[in-house]
Amino acid sequence: MARIDTGIIDTTLDPAAELASLAGADLSAGGVASFLGQVRQEDGLTALELEHYPGVTDQALARIARTAAQRWQLDRAVIHHRVGRMTPGEPIVFVGATAPHRRAALDAVGYMIDLLKTEAPFWKRVHTARGSHWADAADTDRQAADFWLDQMASEDA
Amino acid sequence: MQITVRYVAALRDRMGRPGETLDLPEGAADSEAVIARLRETDAAAEALAHPSVRLILNDAIVPRPAALADGDILAFCPPFTGG
Repeated sequence: MARIDTGIIDTTLDPAAELASLAGADLSAGGVASFLGQVRQEDGLTALELEHYPGVTDQALARIARTAAQRWQLDRAVIHHRVGRMTPGEPIVFVGATAPHRRAALDAVGYMIDLLKTEAPFWKRVHTARGSHWADAADTDRQAADFWLDQMASEDA
Repeated sequence: MQITVRYVAALRDRMGRPGETLDLPEGAADSEAVIARLRETDAAAEALAHPSVRLILNDAIVPRPAALADGDILAFCPPFTGG
């Protein structure tokens, strides 16, 4: 049974500690894969503010991790997502997976971050020296999530 | 029946308020009826009708249209932009 560890973080996300908690934790795991999302400095961005829908977000993250753990037979699946205000370079999200082999761990991480983008209720507000605005959703995010969903649907068929 | 409506993120700004309580006739009430009702008095509610708008009904993300019952909390959400 895979261990699922998901949650919303309103303080700092520590990438080294996140990775350290995965390395060596599962003796059956030959592969540990991870993704770290961080605030990108572009278009005069001075800070990013992440809003979410309490109660529902937690469930969505857990569901995405459970699905990945089941599909790729993971030993462990982790999703930790920041909320609140962050500055450029700060981590927003850590996604990690451990599995017996590398391909499963790598694919599971890709699935989890792509699905998170479109299925977990988070919203980014961009702050600049001139004011602030809500970030638009990217079509490429929708396409990335659809890639995995199409692939899983064709495997189930 | 009474429904609590919430507007989230960009839709909260667009509507100019975080939400409200609506009295709807019993039966035949769904998310689209709520939008139609709001549009009668508020031109900004047109934004809620956009196909990209997602719904959270009580504590679950649900597809549109969503059937409603007395006491439900319905949140209108712009597309998610986390990660």
